[in-house]
Amino acid sequence: MTAPAWLEVLNETLDACRTHGRADLAERLRRRRDAPPGQIRLGVLGFPKQGKGYLLNAVLNAPVCAVGDAATPAVPTEIAYSPEPAATLVGRSRERIPVAVERLTGELGARPAGTLSRVEVGVPRELLSAGLVLVDTPPVGDPRSPRTAAALDLLAEADAVILVSDATAPLSAAELALARHVRTWCPHVVLALTKIDASPGWRAVAERNRAMLAEAGIDAPVLPVSAVVRQAAAKTGDAELNARSGFPELLAWIAEQAARPPEQSRALLAAVGVRAAAAELVESLRDRIDTVAQDAGLGQAALLQRAQRRADDLRRQNTRWQNLLSDEITDLLSDAEYDLRERTRKIVTTIDRTFDEGDPAKVWDDFAPWLDNALAEAVDVNYTWLADRAEWIAQAVAACFGAQYDRALPDLRLDGSGVEHLDDVGRPKIEKFKIGQQAFTGLRGSYGGVLMFGLVTSLAGLPLINPVSIGAGAAFAAKTIKDEGGMRLQRRQAVAKQAAQRHVDDVFLKFSKECRDAVRVVQRRLRDHFTGLAEELADELTRERETILAGTAERERRTGHIRREIDRLAALHQRAGELGTIAGRQQRRELSA
Amino acid sequence: MTQDVRDLLHAATGLYRDDPRASAVLLDCLNRLEQPLRVAFTGAPSSGKTTLAAALGEWPTRALRDLVLLDDPGPADDVPDATVRLVRHLEPDELAAAHPPGGSAFARQSAVNSVLVLSRADEVGAGRIDALLTAKQLARRAWREDPLCTGFLGVIAVAGQLAYGGRSLRDDEFDLLAAFAAVPREELERHVLSVDSFTDPAFPGPIPVETRRSLVVRFGMFGVRLALTLIRTGCDDRVKLSAELVRRSGLGELRDTLAGCFVARAEALRARTAIIRLEALLAAHPRPGGDRLVSRVERFAAAAHDFRELRLIADIRGGRTALSGEPAEEAVRLLGAQGTAPADRLGLEPDADPNEIYDAGLDALRRWRHEAERPDRPHAERTAAHVVVRSAEGLLALFG
Repeated sequence: MTAPAWLEVLNETLDACRTHGRADLAERLRRRRDAPPGQIRLGVLGFPKQGKGYLLNAVLNAPVCAVGDAATPAVPTEIAYSPEPAATLVGRSRERIPVAVERLTGELGARPAGTLSRVEVGVPRELLSAGLVLVDTPPVGDPRSPRTAAALDLLAEADAVILVSDATAPLSAAELALARHVRTWCPHVVLALTKIDASPGWRAVAERNRAMLAEAGIDAPVLPVSAVVRQAAAKTGDAELNARSGFPELLAWIAEQAARPPEQSRALLAAVGVRAAAAELVESLRDRIDTVAQDAGLGQAALLQRAQRRADDLRRQNTRWQNLLSDEITDLLSDAEYDLRERTRKIVTTIDRTFDEGDPAKVWDDFAPWLDNALAEAVDVNYTWLADRAEWIAQAVAACFGAQYDRALPDLRLDGSGVEHLDDVGRPKIEKFKIGQQAFTGLRGSYGGVLMFGLVTSLAGLPLINPVSIGAGAAFAAKTIKDEGGMRLQRRQAVAKQAAQRHVDDVFLKFSKECRDAVRVVQRRLRDHFTGLAEELADELTRERETILAGTAERERRTGHIRREIDRLAALHQRAGELGTIAGRQQRRELSA
Repeated sequence: MTQDVRDLLHAATGLYRDDPRASAVLLDCLNRLEQPLRVAFTGAPSSGKTTLAAALGEWPTRALRDLVLLDDPGPADDVPDATVRLVRHLEPDELAAAHPPGGSAFARQSAVNSVLVLSRADEVGAGRIDALLTAKQLARRAWREDPLCTGFLGVIAVAGQLAYGGRSLRDDEFDLLAAFAAVPREELERHVLSVDSFTDPAFPGPIPVETRRSLVVRFGMFGVRLALTLIRTGCDDRVKLSAELVRRSGLGELRDTLAGCFVARAEALRARTAIIRLEALLAAHPRPGGDRLVSRVERFAAAAHDFRELRLIADIRGGRTALSGEPAEEAVRLLGAQGTAPADRLGLEPDADPNEIYDAGLDALRRWRHEAERPDRPHAERTAAHVVVRSAEGLLALFG
C-alpha cells in the first residue's frame, strides 16, 4: 500500500517548519502524523470560570472534573471509556500513579505544581465506548503562561474542539482570538454557551456571539447549555427538562464527531494542520522579510540617494574651495605688497622732509634709530596682518565644507617676520666744514679781494695793501666761506637722503620677497590640508556606497531565498487544501507569497 | 499634615505663577484638600461598578457621608483619592490587570488607597445557595495567600446586584416573592431552576411573564432563590428581607472597610493625592528653583507616618506579618484601625481621663519599644514593631 498523499505533504511542511526554526509547529505536525488510529480526541477549551468542568461533568453525568472554587488542574485531563471508573495520574517522566476516582480532586491538589503531565480518567459511559476521548484542559489566559501553552497543546491531537464561554457576557476579544486560532488548527469546532440558567439575557448573547463568529469567518455553531438544568433533569429523570438544558444538541454534535470515518478524518486533519502550520510559518517568514526591509531595505533607496547627494555636494565643494583659495591668495599677495609699499612710502616721505631742511651732520644720530624702528614696525605690522589674513582664509575655505568640517584648522604659524634680522641703516660719508678748511677758504677769498681792490686803489696811487683792499679782502673772505658752507650742506643732504632711501629700498625688496614666500607657504599648506580632507570625504563616501550596495545584494539574496520558501509553502498550502477538499471539506482562502 | 501640604502647594504656586495651566492644577489641589474624599469604582466592563456604586451611594449613613463615589472615571479627568477595584473572578490574569499602577516612590510606598472587590459573588459556584459564603472564603483566602492581592487594603466579596436589589426592595416585589414562597417547595423547585423556567408560561399562578422577568432581571436567579429561601425561613416582611439580603450581599463589610480605611484616613489620602499631583507637575515642568521644592516634597513623603500605619494595618489583617491574636489586635488598634484619636488607639472610652490616657500610652510605648528592640525577633517583625512605637510616640506627643 502506498503512503497516502497527505502524508507526503505533511512531511514536507514539517521539514520546512524545522528548517525555519519553528520546532513548535514541527512538533504539532509530527504528533498529528503519529496520532494513534482508532481514537477520536475531543478537546474542551476556554477561559477561566466559564464552566468547563460543569459542562464536562454534565456531558458525562458524573463528577469527574474539578468545579467551582476547587483549584483548577494545571494539566489536561483525558477522559476515556473503561468498564470500571478509574483514574491515573501521569507524571513528568511518564510514571503512572493510579488513584481512586473519588479522591482525584484531593490528590491533584496535593501534588506540587509541575510534577504531572496529565491525568487519565476512565468512566463506563456508552458515549465513549467507540474510542472517543474527552480532554479537559487548563484554563486559557495570559498567552505567555505555561497553563495556556498546556491548553493549546491540545490542538496538536484534537479531532474536534468544544469552546466554552458563559452567557453572562458576549465573547471577549481574547475569546474571539482563541476561537480563530482553534478553528485554524481544527476543522470541527463548537461554541458551548454555558450558564444560560442564570443569565436572563442569554438569547441576545448567543445571537451576538453567532454574529461575531460569522463576521470573523469562524465556522462554528453556538449551542446554549445549562449544566444546572441538566443535573436537575438527571436527578428526576425528566426528559423535558433535559431537552431544555441544551445538552441533547451538544451530545448529538459529539456523537457526530465520533462517527466520522477515521481515514477521511485523518486526511482532513492533516490537511488543516498543514495549512495552519504553513500559514503561521509564512507569516513569520513575512515578518522576517519585513524586519529585514525595515532594517535597511526601506531606508536603502534613501541611503543611496543620500550618498549620491553627498557626492554631488562634495564635487561642488571641491570646485568652490579651490577657487576660493586661489582667489584669496592672489588678493592676499597683492594686498600685502601694497600695504608694505604704502608703509615704506610714508617712511621715504619723512626721510625727504627731514633732509630737505636738516643738516645730516647734526641730525643723523637721531635719525638713524628712528628709521630702524619705523621700518621694523612697518614690517611687523604688515606681517601680523598677513598672518591674520591667512587664518581668515583658512576659515573661509573650511566653511565651504560646512558641517562635514570636523577637525582643527591647519597650523598656519609662519616663521617670524624676520624683523630682528633687518640690517641697521649704514651711516653715509658726511664731510663737515672744519676750521682749517674755513681758514683756507677765507684766505682764498680774501686774497682775491685784496688783489682786486689793491689794483684798483693803486691806480689812485695808494699802495696795493691799503685799508680799503684789506676791508674788501675781509668781506670777500667771509662771502667765500659762506658760499662754500652752503654747497657742502647740500651735498651732505643729498648723500644722506640717498643712503636712507637705498636702505628702505633694500628692506622693502628683501621683505616683500619674504612676504611672498610666506603667502606661498600658506597657500601650499591650506591646499594640502583641504585636498586631504576632500579625498578622505570622497573615500568615505565610496566605502559607504559600497557597503550599501553590498548590503542590498546580501539582503536581496536573503529575501529572495525567503520568498522562494514562501512560494513553496504556498504550494504546500494549496495542495493541502485540495487534499482537504477531497477529504470532504471545502477550503476557501489560499495563501500567496 | 494638611497644613504641610498646603504650604508646599503655596510654594509651588509661587514657582508656577506665570503658567496658567500649572496654576490651575495647583489651585484644584488646594481646593480638593477641603472637599470630600473621592472614591473611584474601577473594573472591567460588566463587572458591576455602577450597580455597586449605586448600592453604596444610596446608603445615607454617617460613615460614608464624606465620600464622593465616582463610577469609573477616565484616567485624566478626575484623580481619585482612593479606589474600589472590581474583579469578577480571583483569577491570576484578572488580578494582575487589577493591580494598582506604580508611579513615584512615594506613590508606591503610600499605595494604601485601594480595596479589591470580588463583585458578582453570587455567580460563584454555579449559583448554589451557599455561593456567597464560598465567595467570602475565597476572598479571605486570596487576601491572605495570593501575592497578587498584597497591594490592597482588603479583598471583599460582594454581590452587587443582590445588595442593590435588597436596598431598593419594593413592597410589590416582596408580595410577589412571598406569594411564590407560599407555593409548595417541591412544586416550585423546577420552576426556579433557570431564568427560562422562571419566565415559562407554564409557571403556576396568575403572575404575568413580564412581571416575573423584571423580578429575575432585578435580583438574578440566585437572588430570587435566596429571597424565597429567606422568606420561608422567617424573613416575613419587606424590611426584614431587605436587611437580610443586604447583610448577605457583603455590602456591609465593604462599607465598614471604606469607612475604616478611607473615611478615617481622608486627610492623609487627600494629602497623598495632592503630593502625587505636585510631584508629577514638578517632574513634567521643571523650573529653576524647583529642586528645593522637590526635596521638600521628598522630606514630607519620608516623614508621612499615616501611610506606614495603613500599610501595616493591611499587612497585619491580611496575615502577612508574624503578629497574631491579642498582640495583633492591639497593634492594629494602636495604629489607628478603630479611630485615630488617642482614646480609640488605646481602646479606652472616648471620655477617658487624660491622665489615664497618658499612662496607658506610656505603657504601650514601653512594651512595643521592648518588642522593637528584641534581638531574637526577625528583622521584619522588629520593623513592624517600630511603626507601632512611632504611633504610640505620636499619641504621647499630643500631650507634650
